Amino acid sequence: MQIQYDPNQVQLTKDGRLKHFLTTEGLSKELLTEILDTADSFISTQERAVKKVPLLRGKTVVNLFFENSTRTRSTFELAAKRLSADILNLDIARSATSKGETLMDTLWNLEAMYSDMFVVRHAHSGAAHFIAEQVTPGVAIINAGDGRHAHPTQAMLDMLTIRRHKGQIEGQTVAIVGDILHSRVARSQIHALKTLGAKEVRVVGPATLVPKEMADMGAKVHYHMETGLKDADVVIMLRLQKERMSDALLPSEGEYFKLYGLTEEKLALAKPDAIVMHPGPINRGVEIDSAVADGQQSVILNQVSYGIAVRMAVMSMAMSGQQSEREQEASV
Amino acid sequence: MTSLHISNCRIHNSDATSVSIENGVITALDSEAPASTDTINAKGALLLPGLIDLYSKANNISSEAKAAAHGGISMMCTSPDSKPMAEAPADIKSILSASEKAGAAQVLPLGTLTSELKGEQLANMHGLIEAGCVALSNGRAPIKNSLVMRRLMEYAATHNITVFLTPQDQALAANGLMHEGPTATRLGLAGIPETAETIALSQQILLAELTGCKVHISHISCARSVDMIRDAKQREINISADAAIANLLYTDQAVNGYNSCYFVEPPLRSEQDRQALLAGVKEGLLAISSNHKAHEQADKKATFADAETGMSILDTFLPMLMLLQDEGITVTELLNAVTALPAQILNLETGIAIGKPANLVLFNSEDNQSCSEPDFLSCGSNSPVLNQSIRGKVLLTVSNGTIAYQQD
Repeated sequence: MQIQYDPNQVQLTKDGRLKHFLTTEGLSKELLTEILDTADSFISTQERAVKKVPLLRGKTVVNLFFENSTRTRSTFELAAKRLSADILNLDIARSATSKGETLMDTLWNLEAMYSDMFVVRHAHSGAAHFIAEQVTPGVAIINAGDGRHAHPTQAMLDMLTIRRHKGQIEGQTVAIVGDILHSRVARSQIHALKTLGAKEVRVVGPATLVPKEMADMGAKVHYHMETGLKDADVVIMLRLQKERMSDALLPSEGEYFKLYGLTEEKLALAKPDAIVMHPGPINRGVEIDSAVADGQQSVILNQVSYGIAVRMAVMSMAMSGQQSEREQEASV
Repeated sequence: MTSLHISNCRIHNSDATSVSIENGVITALDSEAPASTDTINAKGALLLPGLIDLYSKANNISSEAKAAAHGGISMMCTSPDSKPMAEAPADIKSILSASEKAGAAQVLPLGTLTSELKGEQLANMHGLIEAGCVALSNGRAPIKNSLVMRRLMEYAATHNITVFLTPQDQALAANGLMHEGPTATRLGLAGIPETAETIALSQQILLAELTGCKVHISHISCARSVDMIRDAKQREINISADAAIANLLYTDQAVNGYNSCYFVEPPLRSEQDRQALLAGVKEGLLAISSNHKAHEQADKKATFADAETGMSILDTFLPMLMLLQDEGITVTELLNAVTALPAQILNLETGIAIGKPANLVLFNSEDNQSCSEPDFLSCGSNSPVLNQSIRGKVLLTVSNGTIAYQQD
């Protein structure tokens, strides 16, 4: 029995507008470009003395972080504030919800407080999807990272970074290096890059960290930096978690840095004008050498500032998608 | 009720059109109904031998036995981790009396294989069989190591006890949530590799050969496992195996969208694996089990990783089996997988013939069975066909000569 599934049935309105932002998978080139264009327009407002726009005035946004992340949470908080929304920050360690009150109970309580948007981070793949589909469909859900599955706002700020620094995404060769297996960022980047017309997306790392099935997502699997970085336009380094050594996935940080750490020497394999990116926070001397992280080709800090604009873009688009769907349902 | 007459039925692979039952046994085919006997007019419906299910978890013996009868099952093996846990003769006694009281499918308990299912010490194996267990199993809990596995097989072989095993290497399957493959990689769900099953299975086959123990492997899921079972049988090892109906109907694709209904153990695997399992059923190598596990809605309404595993199958078992005809499996092959093979594994009798125990099911293959929540007699409706209707309907199930289920 074949079961058809399309992620866009959940995240898009009937007329194809964003109402949740769960994954970059399956979104059209037009919609992804609309997100980037909207974000671009917010970048100029960020440079003004008064940074607020009234798009989410009177709306309540809840930052629902089941997994700790100060950085991502604060960029969402700033983005919501700059859209004039009221924002509530909830740090819910997973242990707290498992003590009796279920995830569903927590969410229903928040929904009853007339929340308009949940920004959700959760350690389980599919959590944001589950909430959008089965728990609170009337609340716009923005996925701020679910397990290994997706981190779509991070991927879109990376797309914006590439577009602003390389002019366009079409035709670029992008190498993503490191722990692909556990990376929600890499998965979201691959979907976005493929749809936006990148020439080639490579995933680079040892076989313990790079599943061969990444090829089914359209990425080329490389086990060595020499071939993986050759003539790349964009090099994206991923953070290496310390647990990987104790999980028998790698022998040591030292050996990892020697083989896969980005040094000036290895970066020379890429095109001379290649840019270096990292979703942060960086482990200097583990996946990236300080000289490269702080060097001419690094755009790591620019990524951070684009993050707010991209989050403002998807939050305002999803809110307006929810509103238009409600209006359509009311008029029927 | 001691006598029953079913008239006007079509019997699979037979010209007879009526069956007479007395004291739990089929006494006549094609004879007139004796006076003062309850008669059921089948109106041309199909009469089949009652199904024998090799594995269900029953958290409530009464409701699950009724659900089983609703799905055409006359006899059902309950897993040792059912409620109550089947670990002492007193538990077995209470399971059997609950079964009798329910008056539905007859429950054949699988007792615990190791003490508290911990996989370390042998359970009182002989005592459990004496109390009425048909075989022993460790559920899906692992056996600690190869030495314990060898010892329990040796001890079981001594007393001619059948051992049910589930093949899964715990280290390789650790944290896994679904079949390892492209879908798992895309969804970011940790995978369970095929080798988690085949490595454990090879240990079980080799030790079965060494000890001569009669082993039944519950729910294999991989193409390679089918080959391994075939090869083991060719080498005359005393082994049998089944596949769960879910693995014959669905693949890992079903998990797309994080639908926790399809979160099952063993995991739904690739289309190639599914085709190999179907071929195994077709050639008479594999039995089919329900691998039923009922849950309340709340247990499934969670993130995929937090949801409980398992599907509620019993209520719809026969109609779901009949769907396999679309995959090229004939009714004869299906019946072999859910009646003759399980009977052989459990040393029971089956079939529609004079002198056989009266385990029968009357099935209308044209009608549709509705599968909305109140239609489930099981305590869980966590079914892939919930809120759909499914082709075919059980009209009557007879277990040892008494009516276990009859449509209103």
